[in-house]
Amino acid sequence: MTRSKVTPLKATPVDDSAAELAHTDSNGNPRPVLQVEGVNKIYSNGTVALKGADLTVRQGEFVSLLGPSGCGKSTLLRIMAGLGDVTTGTVKFWEQGYDVVGDKGRKLAFVFQNATLMPWARVRKNVRLPLDLEHQRGPEVETKIDDALEMVGLKGFDHAFPRELSGGMQMRASIARAMVTEPNLLLMDEPFGALDEMTRNKLNDDVLKLWQKNGWTIVFVTHSVYEAVYLSSRVVVMAARPGRIVDDISIDQPFPRNADFRVSTEFAGYCRQVSQALERASAMGQPQEIKA
Amino acid sequence: MSAPLIQNENFVKVAAPLGVGILFLLFWEIAVQALEMPKYILPGPVEIFKALIDGWQPLLGALYITLKVTFLAFAIAVVLGVAASLLFVQSKWIEMSLFPYAVLMQVTPVVAIAPLIIIWVDDTTWALTVCAVIIAIFPIISNTTLGLRSVDPNLLSMFRMYRTSRWQELVRLRIPGALPYFFGGLRISSGLALIGAVVAEFVAGTGGAKAGLAYMILQSGYNLQIPRMFAALLLITLTGIALFALMVWLSNRALHNWHESALEVEH
Repeated sequence: MTRSKVTPLKATPVDDSAAELAHTDSNGNPRPVLQVEGVNKIYSNGTVALKGADLTVRQGEFVSLLGPSGCGKSTLLRIMAGLGDVTTGTVKFWEQGYDVVGDKGRKLAFVFQNATLMPWARVRKNVRLPLDLEHQRGPEVETKIDDALEMVGLKGFDHAFPRELSGGMQMRASIARAMVTEPNLLLMDEPFGALDEMTRNKLNDDVLKLWQKNGWTIVFVTHSVYEAVYLSSRVVVMAARPGRIVDDISIDQPFPRNADFRVSTEFAGYCRQVSQALERASAMGQPQEIKA
Repeated sequence: MSAPLIQNENFVKVAAPLGVGILFLLFWEIAVQALEMPKYILPGPVEIFKALIDGWQPLLGALYITLKVTFLAFAIAVVLGVAASLLFVQSKWIEMSLFPYAVLMQVTPVVAIAPLIIIWVDDTTWALTVCAVIIAIFPIISNTTLGLRSVDPNLLSMFRMYRTSRWQELVRLRIPGALPYFFGGLRISSGLALIGAVVAEFVAGTGGAKAGLAYMILQSGYNLQIPRMFAALLLITLTGIALFALMVWLSNRALHNWHESALEVEH
């Protein structure tokens, strides 16, 4: 078994019953998908981008990383995606039926702040890119692409070029591209930051629906308190200089959430709580001499 | 139904410069006639046109030779230039080691090295071709290399996330992204190939059956056949314009779906 190559946490055999059990851990919590342990990231110029970051993301969670600019939230997300090296510490991935799988089990998708589509390729070709890169072919691939396009509301736009789409529709294509590989973890880096508020709210609602419907696990970077509270089951607050995790707030409100939730007292309460945590985080990041 | 032609932008785009040209030719002809300018100093447009018709056989022959050298050189410059760019983007080291020599080749005036090349290369056509390649290759190398390097860093990250091979990265990402730059290089390079072919022939001073338009100009100058000299010059200019138009057309064909340079702006 190839599993022997990676450091196992618990050496549970892989059979059907174990796979069932693996959905939850001994405390009855959903099993982890990703575990960041003691990650430090120091750039060659001495900047400490991340200091002692610990974070466990569990199956089905919607986790937002929230913090002032320069707090390392995007850096942390890129490290989770394997797009950046860590100076020290580990990032572990889980996969269904396995206890721990190292790099091999990593099956994730990344949605960037910009749609990041290939301008020379039509929407369908853009969406199928990850499958092409994994050399997947055949009728089931076409079905996957059809499904993804339909779910993000781009059915019938297969043959459009990205420049023919609005900013919101380009983001939808980008999300469809992330979906086709059926990732066990979806990483989103301020995905709707460049869009107008109405489009942004609509896309937030759509992402929430897709998250619920497909049982995704999402880590979402944002600098908006309202967006974080509205979307997340958990908000992780970060501070800058050095970038670190300072708070971890559960948003214990039921899904699906809708416009009513936006105006509820619970929503306002959570926004206040998260804002205060963010203010504390920002104060921590201030250079000493500016402090009164 | 039909709006006045003057309001049609496409009509004006063609008609305005054409009108200026016709006025200029008219003025030229009238001035030459009025001043009774001898035609071995400055012939009028009518005289030049006559020379073009009367001498069409040698002129066409010379045009064929010049075109042959131009296209041969252009084709070689494209193939070698693209190959060099692909090599350069494989590693910073290769680019750093070799790029200065590409610049060296570019800044050395071809007129200065043409005599050497003509001594080294026996066949005149090939000697001229080598000179034209040296002039034409640089824009292809520098533009294509720039294009292959100008990749959306996020798209590149995505390719890396899927652990894509360098080959896939090149074929699916770098080459399509470099096309607008490549076509920009083609436009410059096609004109330079023609200039190279003509300049090299001036230096080489070919004669006989293998003489191109440059030699035709030299010879007409010696014989004071100034109208024919102008006719040859006209053919070179027309060739240059045709080449440029061809490159623009090719570039628009290839990029019309997606690249800003080839999009029609609607008002």
